[in-house]
Amino acid sequence: MHSVDFFDARIVEGTTTSIVLDNGKIEQVAVNYTKGAGVRALCGGSWGFTSADGDFDIDKAIASASELAVSMNDKSPKENAKLKEIDNPSVTDLPKVKIDPQDISLEEKVRHLQEIGSYAQKDGISSSSAVYSESAVKVTYIDSNGTKGEYDLIRTGFAISAVASENGVYQAGRESRFGVTGYEIFDQSNAEELAENAANTALELLSAKPAKGGSMPVILDPELAGVFAHEAVGHASEADLVLEGSSILENRIGQQIASPLVTIIDDPTMHAYGYYPFDDEGSQARKTTIIENGVLDSYLHSRETAEKLGGVPGHSRSQGNSKPVVRMSNTYIDSGNSKFEEMLEEIRDGIYLIGSRGGQVNTGEGVFQFNAEKGYLVENGELTGLIRDVSLSGKTLEILNNVKMVGNDLSMNSGRCGKSGQLVPVTDGSPHLLISEALVGGA
Amino acid sequence: MYELAQKGLKAALSMGADEAEIFIGEGHGTSFDIRKNEIEGAKESTSQGLGIRVVINGAVGFASTNIMSRIEDTAKNAVSSAKVRESDPDWKALPSDEKYPNVCGIFDTELKNMELDDCIKKAIDMIDGAKTVSNITVTSGNFSRGFGKSLILNSNGIEIEEMGTTVSGFVDTITNKGETSTAYDFEISRNNDIDFEIIGKNAAELARRSQDAISIDPHKTNVILHPFAFSDLLDSTFVPSIDADNVQKGRSNLINKLGEQIAAENISIIDDGLLDGGIETGRSDDEGVASQRTNVIENGVFSSYLYDSYTAGKDNVKSTGNGSRSSYFSTPSVGTRNFIVDVPGSDIIEDTEEGIFINTVIGAHTANGISGDFSVEARNAFTIKDGMIDKPIKSLMISGNMFDMLKKIDGAGNDLRKVGSTVTPSIRIPDMSIVG
Repeated sequence: MHSVDFFDARIVEGTTTSIVLDNGKIEQVAVNYTKGAGVRALCGGSWGFTSADGDFDIDKAIASASELAVSMNDKSPKENAKLKEIDNPSVTDLPKVKIDPQDISLEEKVRHLQEIGSYAQKDGISSSSAVYSESAVKVTYIDSNGTKGEYDLIRTGFAISAVASENGVYQAGRESRFGVTGYEIFDQSNAEELAENAANTALELLSAKPAKGGSMPVILDPELAGVFAHEAVGHASEADLVLEGSSILENRIGQQIASPLVTIIDDPTMHAYGYYPFDDEGSQARKTTIIENGVLDSYLHSRETAEKLGGVPGHSRSQGNSKPVVRMSNTYIDSGNSKFEEMLEEIRDGIYLIGSRGGQVNTGEGVFQFNAEKGYLVENGELTGLIRDVSLSGKTLEILNNVKMVGNDLSMNSGRCGKSGQLVPVTDGSPHLLISEALVGGA
Repeated sequence: MYELAQKGLKAALSMGADEAEIFIGEGHGTSFDIRKNEIEGAKESTSQGLGIRVVINGAVGFASTNIMSRIEDTAKNAVSSAKVRESDPDWKALPSDEKYPNVCGIFDTELKNMELDDCIKKAIDMIDGAKTVSNITVTSGNFSRGFGKSLILNSNGIEIEEMGTTVSGFVDTITNKGETSTAYDFEISRNNDIDFEIIGKNAAELARRSQDAISIDPHKTNVILHPFAFSDLLDSTFVPSIDADNVQKGRSNLINKLGEQIAAENISIIDDGLLDGGIETGRSDDEGVASQRTNVIENGVFSSYLYDSYTAGKDNVKSTGNGSRSSYFSTPSVGTRNFIVDVPGSDIIEDTEEGIFINTVIGAHTANGISGDFSVEARNAFTIKDGMIDKPIKSLMISGNMFDMLKKIDGAGNDLRKVGSTVTPSIRIPDMSIVG
């Protein structure tokens, strides 16, 4: 193990509880207790990584990762990798949990979730489901330079979905809230009202018309605009993708790549679902401005990419005991000063796209596709017909430059982001955005 | 492993479970990530964990752990999670009395014992394959080799142990000269029979051929979907509707459609847990029900939903062997096995005078899984002119409905391909709407 240049180990221990209700009936109650370690070793330019489950021997895991690194360096040698030096992380601003979910009985949680779920069971709703999950995790980090860190974090959240059907047409509505908070998340987010909203969305979409596709001006709601910020811009700013040559933002630092109205930030210190006090390679979490007033300011970095490209580490994350990769945390487009009414006035005729059913992006070519949950036609500055099955696609840089107005109403949404086969908790958000031209897909 | 399972079973029964089941999963994997034409490093992982399902007065509870010394605590958690539930009148019983068929081609000793050097060589083969095409960079990629074992034991006498191997390769490529275009390719197999160089070469050639793309106007035309694109859409828009759980909950487009013509007459779809060398092949499913072959669509007629033992009990039918778990920490739910699309093939591109060929789509998972409506971005798409692939297309969205599409399919290629557990040829659909 002394033949390697660096090693580190992350030990993660956690308990998760999940409850799934279907039409008010308990479908699943599950408790999971796990422990694991992810160990990395670096020799020259080669990484060795070992993950271990359960009752592991940490010294053995370090030895085996080291062996892999040495043998890789031997068999496929490459340019030496260096890591940015870091200070010991400080853990001073952990979110305060008001009600520890582990103090509430399983019976009470089930009863509570059933009550909330019942608000989604309106007339015309053919089925509904409600999911609750909580996790308590302890993370310990050490590296061969003597860096040490440790924290405990509680995450809770719930999701409600409702399906309405009529004459063979099915439409769904979904609302969810996840955060680094305790059991108080239900009260803080007005869960009953959200359950009703999910049902209302499903019901109103039954009579919505499919959208007609084409190129047109659009207004994005904070949720869909947040997805754009995360998927299209955030991923392209991940330095590992930049280094491998699959980002349109390569060699663009300091350049005007967006309308001067656009500022995009990734902030792991924000007390939202993507929060962490230090990342999964021991670097202190810091707010990073990706785009400032339209100018590309910084990529998101790990210790290795920060050293290579020049930057600040703090965005390397992993799921469980997997190998850390460059990731986002809480990503958002910063508030501007336009009001939604002013946007309607400005757009005159176009489409207002609301919510997100997910999307995908090709960061190398800078193209993306997102499906909105629903939308409204805008005619003469007024919201008219409700539309469904509507999607937005285009080129990231074109959309960034086509931003004509930025709202004053930033709000965040929580979810999980997948990359390299790993899911991590994140939030993304934005105020309303007016885009002068985008490609809208419909049926 | 067996003793451990016995111990867990005994603990659960002694704590008051009427029925109990232990699922143990164990895996060992080696993988390499490729970054910008180089192998970034090696990863080795081992995992082992167990899930305990218990039934008390017709209520089911579940708990799991990867700390084997905590097996009794886990049994206790499973029992207390069953106790917060009311008796479920739809619950019948854990599987019992199963006769397991033999399967072949899912375990390859050569793969299990493959040395690190040989694994590295295969990863390098992918990069070298891509390098046979000029001006191409492999941006990312992965080689993985794995060996897994599972054991299911229940209080009704079920005991089934299985072993399997898998190997896979994936590369993503980008052009580094001229117009930027990207393409990927991958293969997965249970046996050491993948030509890794071809994976790299295919991806590189496709990225290269996609350069200098043209724009097209919105219109309706013949669309041929490559197995990658078709399987992606099928997963998101058709599979959810044949899941008996969705059907029972009113979330399926195929409720009360058994026996109806739902696809063109020459189309059959088979869910096959027994396919030689299939990615989802095994003697049993993930709750100990014997694997089988199920006709989902037979000559266009819808013939069966897919069941796990719970949903089967609810409909008073036999499970189709589709109880599936993503890991030891999940309870079983309905999942497809090897999903085979059977349509008579021809030289489909040659037979198409005019149309569009689409290699992959992005955004399939955003489709409406109940209605089957989708609107996705097509990647590596080409125009077809006089029976030949003509020009690459810049940006293209296709939208439609899977259930309309199934009725309209009017041809397939001879290019049957295993896309993970889905096995399908290229599929042609006339009169699809596209937005350029």
